[in-house]
Amino acid sequence: MGIKSFARKRAIHLMLVYTGGCNGCDIEIVNSVLSPRFDAEQYKVFLTWNPREADVLVVTGPVTALNKKPLEAIYEAIPDPKIVIAAGGCALMGGVYNNIHGDIPSEEIEGPVDKVIPVDAKVPGCAVRPQDVLSGLVSVLPKLLEQD
Amino acid sequence: MDEKIPNSNVIETEIPLGTVHPAALEPYRLRLFVEDEIVREAEITIGVNHRGVERIMEGLPVEKANALTEKICGICSNSHIWNSCRTGELGLGIEVPERAQFIRVLMSELERLHSHFLYLAHGCEVLSHETFSMRVFYLRETVMELLSMVGGNRVQYGCSVLGGVRPRCDLDDNRIQRIIEGMDTIEAGLTDFVKRFTADNIIMSRITGIGVLPQKQALKLAVTGPSLRATGVPNDLRTRMSEYEPFDFNIITQPDGDVKSNLIVRALESFEAIKIVRQVIDQLPEGKVVNHDWEMVDTDITDSYIEVPRGTLYHSYAIENGKVRHCIIRTPSMANIGAMQYACIGDQVTDAQLAIVQCDPCFTCTDRAIEIIRR
Amino acid sequence: MTIDTIIFGILALIVTVIVCFIVSTFLPGIERKYVHARIQQRIGPPVTSPGIMAPIKFAFKDNIKPSSPVPGLFKALPVVCFIVVLVILIALTPQAFYIPALSSLIAIIGLLKVEEICYVLMGALSKSVMSVRMPFPDLVKGGVNLDVTRSFIEDISAKRSLRMITYGSFPLYLALFGPVAQSGSIFLEKIVEYQHIHGPYLFTVSGMIAAVVFFLGYMIVLNEYPFSFIKAKSDVIEGPYMEYAAKYRGIVFITRGFLMFTLAALFSLLFIGIPTNLFSWGIILNIIVALIFVLAMGIFSAFSPVFTNRQLLPVSVVASLLGVLAIALGVL
Repeated sequence: MGIKSFARKRAIHLMLVYTGGCNGCDIEIVNSVLSPRFDAEQYKVFLTWNPREADVLVVTGPVTALNKKPLEAIYEAIPDPKIVIAAGGCALMGGVYNNIHGDIPSEEIEGPVDKVIPVDAKVPGCAVRPQDVLSGLVSVLPKLLEQD
Repeated sequence: MDEKIPNSNVIETEIPLGTVHPAALEPYRLRLFVEDEIVREAEITIGVNHRGVERIMEGLPVEKANALTEKICGICSNSHIWNSCRTGELGLGIEVPERAQFIRVLMSELERLHSHFLYLAHGCEVLSHETFSMRVFYLRETVMELLSMVGGNRVQYGCSVLGGVRPRCDLDDNRIQRIIEGMDTIEAGLTDFVKRFTADNIIMSRITGIGVLPQKQALKLAVTGPSLRATGVPNDLRTRMSEYEPFDFNIITQPDGDVKSNLIVRALESFEAIKIVRQVIDQLPEGKVVNHDWEMVDTDITDSYIEVPRGTLYHSYAIENGKVRHCIIRTPSMANIGAMQYACIGDQVTDAQLAIVQCDPCFTCTDRAIEIIRR
Repeated sequence: MTIDTIIFGILALIVTVIVCFIVSTFLPGIERKYVHARIQQRIGPPVTSPGIMAPIKFAFKDNIKPSSPVPGLFKALPVVCFIVVLVILIALTPQAFYIPALSSLIAIIGLLKVEEICYVLMGALSKSVMSVRMPFPDLVKGGVNLDVTRSFIEDISAKRSLRMITYGSFPLYLALFGPVAQSGSIFLEKIVEYQHIHGPYLFTVSGMIAAVVFFLGYMIVLNEYPFSFIKAKSDVIEGPYMEYAAKYRGIVFITRGFLMFTLAALFSLLFIGIPTNLFSWGIILNIIVALIFVLAMGIFSAFSPVFTNRQLLPVSVVASLLGVLAIALGVL
């Protein structure tokens, strides 16, 4: 293991973009980083709100129409290498909002997230548990570490 | 000061914030119009969260529609499903067992605790006081554990169903014991926090007199919930709800309508919530928790109001062939958006964010298609 | 002075600076783990993460063109900041006493001013995606005041840095002049000599007041809570540093830790009379002073919210008055 991946493993900056679900996942994830009970910082994960600083983008919510472009802009602003984690049922498959009765798609929803930006890890749950987010992050770390 | 009036003549620049912002968490666009650093006018654009839940609800079976209302908001999910079930029960004339009513009140008060703790923690976070924020989040974990113990999930509990509560949410001795212990922990922790918070002169100088919402304007803007009570109006729908009749609690008011009053109202209301939870545990009647003895009939449009952590929640729908028709939901934050826009006038940009947070915004709740008719 | 002494002096200087730099990279981690996390009742990050590993990680990220009207100047600014801090540290070593122009208080104050002006430029030149450039249709029919000039959040931060230059950094500069008033010289060599004869300045009444003022000024210059007005998370997110990515952000991170150490070294020179020299026991005192400063700053910042103009001005005025008092006591 070179110094590159060694350093990457020891300082992971995580940014949260919330694209309009029900707020539940969002609070659970911020909670997992902020609350001393879960304290993501002990696993070297730091919460940031600046896309230029971030390595990991956590997206929650089914991308609503007005949120599509901001999400793309923020994804563009993150310097490589970067990974994207889609967290929560809505981010994975649009949740309960995606379809109106059977197959009729809702015109409010642009998602799921992987239609808009490439997704590396998917964390299911409604709402996601803080432990699951951390384990999802750990599962894609090799991808981040090995990139140039 | 009677009213705060935006002053467009002195505006120098516009500062747009959002849709992704650490102080907001939820996506919305905020345009602050400032003179130097003093906010003279503010515009909040919502609609970023609009998913059309009512549209999806149209034509769903009532039971499914009730479960769907829970997905409107992740903070006050239990309130939505409770009020939606209540609407159906009022329309269909279902008698809810007393034990089920008690458990619903218990969930509602636990949810009030977690919502108010989230508010206090987020308020401290916007004040950039990380330590207090973490302390409240730590307390909040206790509530979340109780909620997930009773409801089975940390966020969406799905407690109420038509005719009562899910049997899963029934309380046995073990759960009651844990709730009693949890209440003791929370009360001790919250007392400690409130003492420290109000004794901290630096914080008090940050929040006293900031984001004032005059009482007259609050009434004019139809502000509801704790934000209204923080301006000195003792208006709490819980005093008029039949579910809360067996319980004894006080309406908390504060005189000033600034950030300090808002924070203190929430903190004191949490104590009242603890009181109600204890009364529920003490007086919990025996019996079944769900009443299956009813028939699905067509109903006219029925509506129901309840008091949720943020104010007054309104649900209304009619039932046709067992399916929901003509659904309208009005959430408390909808009324409070106006308050947010006015509360931040005359403050620094940093305090403007605080003035918005003081109204406890929940924009996911708020993004409904509505039409305001002023009579 | 022979060639040998010059070469030996330069070598000693380089080794001293490198050791100080390595020590300084631990300071942000110590603040985060042993003070903030401790107070917040959690485990906290490893000591190496915020100060060392994060800059190395940023160095290996792909560089991107910052969104700025003058990308070249914008990228140069953190480097300028780093060099400024480096030069200040060099000025504090005994080897620099041979260059009186550098090892005087005027030079140090001038260099600190450069650092502050860099923040203004950074803020003014940064055009981040988080405010105006966010693609959101808000200038539409029905919006209010559609014809007003739109400014980025970093512009507020630039304005605030300007304000900090005018009144925020007074306490630090006044505290620096306390020892001058006592010893009657602006040259660091003379100040050190004076304290060797008369005992450390810190243990006089004027010195104690000046030390308190210096500590406040130290926090203000480092933009640490509660004085992190120019990068308040609740409105400007990260302020001047918003657009820095990859290795430039790494430099920003390093500079912060380095400035923490350098200001502490400045304190130990002016108030205790110990220049930064690896080849004397004084370096241990230097490091101890740096640690005490970091711990005190961490405790203070963990228990206070961010100050706005309303709190900042009185604090600054009171600190400045104390500074004037310290100088007056020193002169008498």
